[in-house]
Amino acid sequence: MAWFILIIAGLLETFGIAMINRLTNKRNWQTVVLLIFGFGSSLILLSYALQTIPMGTGYAIWTGIGVVGGALVGMICYRESKDWRRIMFITIVLCSAIGLKMVS
Amino acid sequence: MAWFYVLCAAIVEVFWVIGLRYASTALEWIGTVIAIIFSFYFIIKSCEKLPSGTVYAVFTGSGAAAIVLVDIIFFDAAFSLPQALLIGLIIIGVIGIKLTTSPEPEGKGD
Repeated sequence: MAWFILIIAGLLETFGIAMINRLTNKRNWQTVVLLIFGFGSSLILLSYALQTIPMGTGYAIWTGIGVVGGALVGMICYRESKDWRRIMFITIVLCSAIGLKMVS
Repeated sequence: MAWFYVLCAAIVEVFWVIGLRYASTALEWIGTVIAIIFSFYFIIKSCEKLPSGTVYAVFTGSGAAAIVLVDIIFFDAAFSLPQALLIGLIIIGVIGIKLTTSPEPEGKGD
């Protein structure tokens, strides 16, 4: 159950990133509220999941879903670059950040 | 300027992560919440010019590296070789992302 909640937390984080994107295109309060809801609920669910899942692992997975989700949302919905070098460097940062959280 | 905002977001992130971990008084919690708000403000500012996927990856990576460094320097955490290598890789990755990102992506002008 904690793992399921962790994945939901990651998806809500991705939703929050999508709202950041929407906010830069169109500034309105509705988007700000959705943005706060996305990241707020994501952090609450993360802290709940971390009660059973080890901190390093849980935080690494949450970060991973957020970065991959954010990159995918950007490429699919907002026409961000699909250049292989960009994807490669994002992957390097992603894997190192996950590794760092796992060993810390 | 947009990259400067990403840097600010990552630096401020260190403060709220420490806050979430150690805050006990109301004042410390208020400070933590203010840091969270500022960090997201900087992310939103940088997303006006840079692709959000890029911003979030750089923000997360440099934040993770900075927090480990702060732990080692200020909280006497142990330092290991894998950590040093991973921080090095994050720096290489962030520089790579910066070099391969055009400053004014399509549809995101001033």
